[in-house]
Amino acid sequence: MQELIQAAQAALTSKEAAFIIGYALTPDGKKTRPFIARTPDEAAKLVFNHTCAHNLAVYLTRIAKPKEGKMGIVAKGCDTRAIVALIQENKITRDQVYIIGVNCSGVTADVTLPFGADNLPSKCIMCQVQVPPVSDVLVGTAAPYDKPKDAVTERMQLLEAMNEHERFAFWASEFEKCIKCYACRQTCPMCYCEQCIVDKTVPRWIESSASLRGNFSWNMIRAFHLAGRCIGCGECERACPMDIPLMLLNRKMGMVAMQQFNYRHGVNPEEPTLVGSYNMQDNNEFFK
Amino acid sequence: MQAMKQFITTDEKLRQLVHALSKNAWNIISAGKEGTNFIYINDGKDLVINADSKPTKLSAKEFFFPKTEPLFFYKKNHDGVDLLDPKDVLRKTVLFGVKPCDAAAVPVMGKVFNWDYKDEFFNRRVEQTVIIGMACSYSDVYCFCTSTGLSPESSKGSDVFLKPAQNSSYIAEAVTPKGEAFVVEFSSFFDAANENDVKLLLNSPKGPEKKFDANQVKQWLDGHFEDPLWNEVGETCLGCAQCAFTCPTCHCFDIVDESCGYNCGRRVKNWDGCQFGLFTKHASGHNPRGHQPERYRQRISHKFKYYQDKFGEILCTGCGRCTRGCPVGIDIAEIAQEINKRNSVLV
Ligand code: SF4
Ligand code: SF4
Ligand code: SF4
Ligand code: SF4
Ligand code: SF4
Repeated sequence: MQELIQAAQAALTSKEAAFIIGYALTPDGKKTRPFIARTPDEAAKLVFNHTCAHNLAVYLTRIAKPKEGKMGIVAKGCDTRAIVALIQENKITRDQVYIIGVNCSGVTADVTLPFGADNLPSKCIMCQVQVPPVSDVLVGTAAPYDKPKDAVTERMQLLEAMNEHERFAFWASEFEKCIKCYACRQTCPMCYCEQCIVDKTVPRWIESSASLRGNFSWNMIRAFHLAGRCIGCGECERACPMDIPLMLLNRKMGMVAMQQFNYRHGVNPEEPTLVGSYNMQDNNEFFK
Repeated sequence: MQAMKQFITTDEKLRQLVHALSKNAWNIISAGKEGTNFIYINDGKDLVINADSKPTKLSAKEFFFPKTEPLFFYKKNHDGVDLLDPKDVLRKTVLFGVKPCDAAAVPVMGKVFNWDYKDEFFNRRVEQTVIIGMACSYSDVYCFCTSTGLSPESSKGSDVFLKPAQNSSYIAEAVTPKGEAFVVEFSSFFDAANENDVKLLLNSPKGPEKKFDANQVKQWLDGHFEDPLWNEVGETCLGCAQCAFTCPTCHCFDIVDESCGYNCGRRVKNWDGCQFGLFTKHASGHNPRGHQPERYRQRISHKFKYYQDKFGEILCTGCGRCTRGCPVGIDIAEIAQEINKRNSVLV
């Protein structure tokens, strides 16, 4: 990972970047976690390997913007979609970020198990961005890896084949499990609202109780707020302690945005957002 | 010294016991089939008593301190408001196969729920429940019960404690009077254990290696409210409540009113978590814990210092859930280990 460290150190030394949001090994040396390097010495700790599943773009809206220099970030191809989406949504500008793109050979679904076809998150099975499409400097190599069939796609087909009552029952049984820990929201790079609607109390739109009614409104509203905005990084589902298959919702919304509006968020920083633009040619047959 | 009352039972008998309990209208809770979560069962064949199983995703605390619990219901009438007690009759409940790190949490939490105000909601659930704990032979890199004064064989918090023995049998200890009464009530499923029975006990599980000395951690915390460590460990925390909600000892709650329309509603007690930015935010807008590192300091200090200062207990049983599930890999045992290291340098 000398290449990554050199790129990070160069950006810090030249003061192009004020800090680099990257990954460092945990003390047991077996896995990685987010780490913010502020000096060239600290940057020597940066690594990239199959356990770097986290989408670090979430920190771009959480961390205080530096007075001088850019926010440096280590980003996989899939993570760059979140960065581009944040630019499209005017949360950051392209020149506020210094992107160290890492060519990626897939990450593990479960960090305690070895990397391999049976330990891949859905995003890596479907990946088309092993080489990050956007970056200021590109490091590492993207090696091919074995991809199994995507279980999310298969489950989606099952859901699509259900009638609305069956589908409602399916989601009711999933949402019942939700404990309102908001790990889905907190890990989501696109959930950056200063005040989330679920935390509003005057008036209270969504019950904070983790009971079925409140859980339904929470999970549905979150899905709506991410319609045409989710970039499919899978962090919400990875973080969910109750194993709720949130990607089924997110994937479906992404598919609808594509089918109905030929739109994919987080691809082109210049493109207006789906919900932020209006086009007379838009398909509107779903207004009934 | 009078030895703890010991009995012998078998896998088969415990399954029959489920049947008997179910006939007597008890609520029966067992770790789920894949060992993922506790579930209600009615049939002996659904009982999971497996010393090797991984801790469930959610701890057993939800049966004493549910994720959401109504305190009262209200209904407006023409000249006022009617308040309705939501406390339904609680059926007697038995929790099977609870690991030491979950069972021990119940009396630990019990201290705060009985400190000045006695929380009748928590207490009545504890009173109605018989906890059948079980020695644990699972341990992974996240476990550290042995660093919090417990062990895979500690019966703290259990009413009856099972230790695996040969031929699918178990030596059952009646730990509390409640546990003893339970064994007596269902004596056809428990025989008094003699010396030979006790010889059948399997070797004690080794348990996780001791990772840190909790006293030393506390000592360091006593003098380091301000320290660069808090930024190092806390700045990447994303502020969810995965750690608090899966934790068997975290007990913070929020009280809110929810209406069911114009005329009625309920007041509920919901789980809350100290890593949420809103947790300490005042109505004025001021937030005494305005940044994540300050919130993270609270998590560590509450577990290893404040709760000890106030109640003489460590607010952590070393189950490892917070770390197992943290989306950004924050590791509480490793932080305690780091504090331990810093403390020994000082001494
Ligand atoms: S989706 Fe692609 S870029 Fe992202 S982690 Fe998987 S393989 Fe790497
Ligand atoms: S909703 Fe989930 S998949 Fe979509 S951007 Fe947020 S964390 Fe990623
Ligand atoms: S992460 Fe899962 S359990 Fe937590 S609030 Fe989100 S959906 Fe609910
Ligand atoms: S689970 Fe991890 S990220 Fe979430 S609040 Fe706890 S320490 Fe922070
Ligand atoms: S703090 Fe973590 S390890 Fe300790 S009891 Fe809670 S969840 Fe378990």
